[in-house]
Amino acid sequence: MTDLDRLLADVRRGMIPAHVYNDDELFRLERDRVFGRSWMFVAHESEVPHPGDYVVRRVLDDSFIVARDEGGTVRAMFNMCLHRGMQVCRAELGNASHFRCPYHGWTYRNDGRLTGLPFHREAYGGEDGFRRHEQTLLPAPALDSYRGMIFINLDPNAPPLRDYLGDFAFYLDFYTNQSSAGIELVGPQRWRVKANWKIGAENFAGDSYHTPQTHTSVVEIGLFREPKAAKRKEGALYWAQRGGGTTYKLPPGTFEERLRYVGYPDEMIERMRGSWSSAQQRVIGENGFMISAASLFPNLSFVHNWPKVANGSDSDTVLPFISIRQWQPISADETEVLSWFAVDAAAPAEFKKLSYKAYLMCFGSTGMFEQDDVENWVSITSTAAGSMARRLLLNNRMGLLHDDKPVTPPLAHWVGPGTAYVGYGEYNQRAMLALWADCLAQPVAEAARTELGAP
Amino acid sequence: MTGQLTGSRRRPGTALAFSEERHQQAHEFLVDEAYLLDTQDYETWLALLTDDIRYLMPVRVTTARSAGFDTAPGMAHFDEDKYSLGLRVARFATEHAWTEDPPSRLRHYVTNVRCFATSNADELVVESAVLLFRSRGDVRESALVSAGREDLLRRDPRGTAESAGHWMLARRTIAVDESVLRMQNLAIFL
Repeated sequence: MTDLDRLLADVRRGMIPAHVYNDDELFRLERDRVFGRSWMFVAHESEVPHPGDYVVRRVLDDSFIVARDEGGTVRAMFNMCLHRGMQVCRAELGNASHFRCPYHGWTYRNDGRLTGLPFHREAYGGEDGFRRHEQTLLPAPALDSYRGMIFINLDPNAPPLRDYLGDFAFYLDFYTNQSSAGIELVGPQRWRVKANWKIGAENFAGDSYHTPQTHTSVVEIGLFREPKAAKRKEGALYWAQRGGGTTYKLPPGTFEERLRYVGYPDEMIERMRGSWSSAQQRVIGENGFMISAASLFPNLSFVHNWPKVANGSDSDTVLPFISIRQWQPISADETEVLSWFAVDAAAPAEFKKLSYKAYLMCFGSTGMFEQDDVENWVSITSTAAGSMARRLLLNNRMGLLHDDKPVTPPLAHWVGPGTAYVGYGEYNQRAMLALWADCLAQPVAEAARTELGAP
Repeated sequence: MTGQLTGSRRRPGTALAFSEERHQQAHEFLVDEAYLLDTQDYETWLALLTDDIRYLMPVRVTTARSAGFDTAPGMAHFDEDKYSLGLRVARFATEHAWTEDPPSRLRHYVTNVRCFATSNADELVVESAVLLFRSRGDVRESALVSAGREDLLRRDPRGTAESAGHWMLARRTIAVDESVLRMQNLAIFL
């Protein structure tokens, strides 16, 4: 393990051995030590609004049915029949009172309880041979939610979600709590890219530096007015415990004026006033920054942008959208992207329509921003597989001098929790990889096993 | 909340015979269009779309047969009008659309063409199947997208569209055959 110790030490001082972006051995460790103990987003409550609604989501190789039972409780249940291991639900979404295994007909209610076991008496001798009573599909070891976002954890002893999120929850609210109605998620679009999962997560966490170069074309066609290099570096990068993100500096103005500038109608701004704390409002109104991309460790990202969506006479009319996306690891060199459109549930219908349009034009499988990102990430991943990548330490120290002093001091008057810097820097990518290193350094305890049918 | 069921729209009558001129023109339209899309001649392609074009590619989902829908409620890969398609085309024309520079090698295979007359003599419903092969770089794995398409072709009232019979594309609904796409992005058109 000295190799691993050295690798983690390199990463912590801001040097990245390039092979971390395509290494089967590391991927096996990540599966256990990162994804085996982190809170993983599986669904938003708006995706399963009614009793019986379900979606099937994975945490790496494990399939879970996320279902709302008849009493309104949302559960995540391991999608494996207790008998012979068949998937009891083979759809991606739907509404069902029961899930019946197609193999032998074992049947489970949408709260996971085993209710049907054909020939229980004849085949097993009833409860004397197989205790059916109170058997359920294996529940996710831990489940918790924040602002309607449902997360599960494969570690039953994980700290509560709110503790895990830490101060990043303050920033999560900008995306998920624009009104007391919360957000609704639409989607996801799903597609697989031959790129390592960490690259997208790091990019969304803090790479404002790539915007002017990678996304030149979307500025040239007039879709987005912000990414110009001079403008992008005026934004602040913040990190708060479990996550961080990028912002844009807004023109002078009040809280209301600045939200109007990015395209929010007054009625939505009014509700934001009611939903966000004074400190949250001051990030916009006083500091003058608008949240944009962000990542929550390990693999959930957010984006908030305000492109021009209509060919109207007012050439400067923009409309904001929010996307939530998960970088679902498939292997060391492949990631499934799940990309949702998110919008305040209380937003006017016309706003929702145009915001959806803005999302499709910018992000997701067809998004004009995203297209160029993925091309880069696929290229990095394929190049990271060889022996030369093991000899190259990528410099992840932007914003730090050789003596570890920052190039520019942190923002003294930043209202939000955590630390923020104005200008380009890889503060957040370092923070992200430091959490990754903490996970990799620590083996996971052996999980408890469940034996079925025993008395 | 449920989505739509693809391919369920009731066809207006039986398909036109392959010997009919309108069928032949529609087929020719699709083959010529495939050539434009293969060569990424998007400016010419855009000129074949009506100003009220609706270009839709819903997200397909796996659902129980009894569910009655097989697209994601409210979500598409493409949900475009002339403005947004025009922007996409304009972006490819810049020197900074990295995802297609170097360009992909594309081949749209178009088959299973059936035409249906509508109550409007100047509109045709045309179904087709499309298989897109896309190769990028020298050694990367190639990618495929398979889809069914339902188009509405409308005759250009000005009679100037550069296509057989002056047909233009007024509506396209793409029923992609995968739930999870195996392609890095859709910086292509189907």
